[in-house]
Amino acid sequence: MNWRRIALISVPYFWLLGLFLVPFFIVLKISLSDIALAIPPYTPTLELSEGWSGLRDLVAQLDFENFAFLADDDLYWKSYLSSVQIAFISTFICLLIGFPIAYGMANAPTEWQPTLMLLVILPFWTSFLIRVYSLIGLLSQEGMINQFLMWIGIINEPLMILNTNWAVYIGIVYTYCPFMILPIYATLIKLDASLLEAAEDLGCSRTEAFWRITIPLSKAGIIAGCFLVFIPALGEFVIPSLLGGSGTLMIGKVLFEEFFANRDWPVASAVAVILLLILIIPIVMYQRNEQKMMEADT
Amino acid sequence: MSQNEFAPWNDSAAKPLIQFQNVTKQFGDFTAVDDLSIDIYEQEFFALLGPSGCGKTTMMRMLAGFEKPTGGTILLDGKDISPIPPNKRSVNMMFQSYALFPHLTVYDNIAFGLKRSDMPRDQIDDRVNKMLKLVQIEKFANRKPEQISGGQRQRVALARALAKAPKLLLLDEPLSALDKKLRQDTQFELMDIQEKTGTTFVIVTHDQEEAMTVASRVAVMNFGKLIQVDTPTQIYEAPNSAYVADFIGDVNIIEGNATKDGDKVSIAWAEGQPEIVGTPSQPVGEGRVSFIIRPEKITISSDKPTDRRNAVQGKVLDIAYLGNLSTYHVEMPNGIVIKAQAANQRRRDSLPFTWEDPVWLSWSDTAGVVLEG
Repeated sequence: MNWRRIALISVPYFWLLGLFLVPFFIVLKISLSDIALAIPPYTPTLELSEGWSGLRDLVAQLDFENFAFLADDDLYWKSYLSSVQIAFISTFICLLIGFPIAYGMANAPTEWQPTLMLLVILPFWTSFLIRVYSLIGLLSQEGMINQFLMWIGIINEPLMILNTNWAVYIGIVYTYCPFMILPIYATLIKLDASLLEAAEDLGCSRTEAFWRITIPLSKAGIIAGCFLVFIPALGEFVIPSLLGGSGTLMIGKVLFEEFFANRDWPVASAVAVILLLILIIPIVMYQRNEQKMMEADT
Repeated sequence: MSQNEFAPWNDSAAKPLIQFQNVTKQFGDFTAVDDLSIDIYEQEFFALLGPSGCGKTTMMRMLAGFEKPTGGTILLDGKDISPIPPNKRSVNMMFQSYALFPHLTVYDNIAFGLKRSDMPRDQIDDRVNKMLKLVQIEKFANRKPEQISGGQRQRVALARALAKAPKLLLLDEPLSALDKKLRQDTQFELMDIQEKTGTTFVIVTHDQEEAMTVASRVAVMNFGKLIQVDTPTQIYEAPNSAYVADFIGDVNIIEGNATKDGDKVSIAWAEGQPEIVGTPSQPVGEGRVSFIIRPEKITISSDKPTDRRNAVQGKVLDIAYLGNLSTYHVEMPNGIVIKAQAANQRRRDSLPFTWEDPVWLSWSDTAGVVLEG
């Protein structure tokens, strides 16, 4: 046996075990527990002093009550659905905005490209929270956007943007657009310009060459970008809770409220487990895509 | 030249397929093509030859439509093509990088251009299969470009460019990515395909051997200008300038002062040496001239030959053994080195001369070219 090899391979597995699997099983366990007025606020808890029998007692007390509750109350499935919808639409808008930006960057003069790249990454230099707060300042009824629109006379009364789904979309698109731009840019920059010339030479118009050559050859970047936006947007809670209104249903927000407002850890954990199950599908698809991209490169 | 030889450029009645009329192309301050005029005829295999940056690729890109001339006009079949975009020209190009579409199979790459045309579907399939057969890649029709070798990719690129049966096929350094052996084989295949399809080919290359092998006419370019346009034989045997002579093959350039001697000239080129007698193809004035002679036109011998007009003595300085040939570098008493080439008809251990041997170099009075300046 090659111990050095095993040692090397074991590092990422320990990482996964310690930082993903163990926390996940703790959350799963809580989701199967009952709420209690105690610290921690659920029961049963594992008594290590009782050994095996303690563990067996614990397992015996676990049930799927919380999951049944999630299925009963339509707040939850509506939130899941609404989250998927908001994440999906946001991803689509990010693609509509991000692709032209990435395309422009890839076709910009070479000496500009590092600067353009920096401009895309620049927002990450300030805290996410502060950026979302500054959006409040922009979007509120007394905010700059409303003031500007009233000043130029397009509207007479301030628009209600903040505390609506509009603000949530603006927040998510603004925050996650770089995740769309960067992978698309990475594929477009590798695109050989002579392929487009060849397409034109063979009878394509510029537009046709774009759809037949550029789009298929940047597909991997588009897919990567879409997943990188969709996955975090689905569980997003800061943006809907700060920018969204009472009508904004997002599962991340529900989760946050269950944990911290209701202190119902078991239900919150059940919500989290289901969210994870929903996310596994796109995550696996994303991994597949990455693998394909790597294979195409070699 | 015989009557049935292919030489439309000598026929004043022949109508050129392509005409460059005083074409200039500038990129900012840089003039890539400078007031250039040339006629290219149907079914020609025309080579643009020159060092990198001489403007040959720019000329090709203007034909394809990727660049517009700054001045002058380019006519294809008598029509100005500058307002026609690349996708509407009956001109196809084989790219240096091949530019095969990596997401499409070999078959779909070849069919790409046909599908953009108004050809009916069932005919497209026939045409693609014909092309696959022409370049002998039927076996790889369903592979992606990454799954085939460089030589096969080159064939796909050629088939794709020929599929639409263009009036003019442009080849941009088509063989530069192949190794030498494969390149030589492919050169003959290219000529074969050109003959079979009857398409006019314009090839851009910096490889003079390639240009000489494949082309019916070669245009030697430098600094955006045409230096000489002629058949490979003429370019080689009758270069119009020292530049062309030097660019194509190996050459000796001897400078001297000429005096007229009937239809010949005598060139005084070194003190204490007999004057070189040469025959200028075009009349040259008296004064400074260059005498240009190819190494293989010079005979090397140990005794002074009697039947040659020109004979000089020197000693062997260096021998470049090339297998089939040996090039002897012979130093004259005044320090000038003249190269002479001899076929190695016998095995190496019996090379007739060795270093420091005194030898005679001789050539006839028509073996070289006399150019003014």
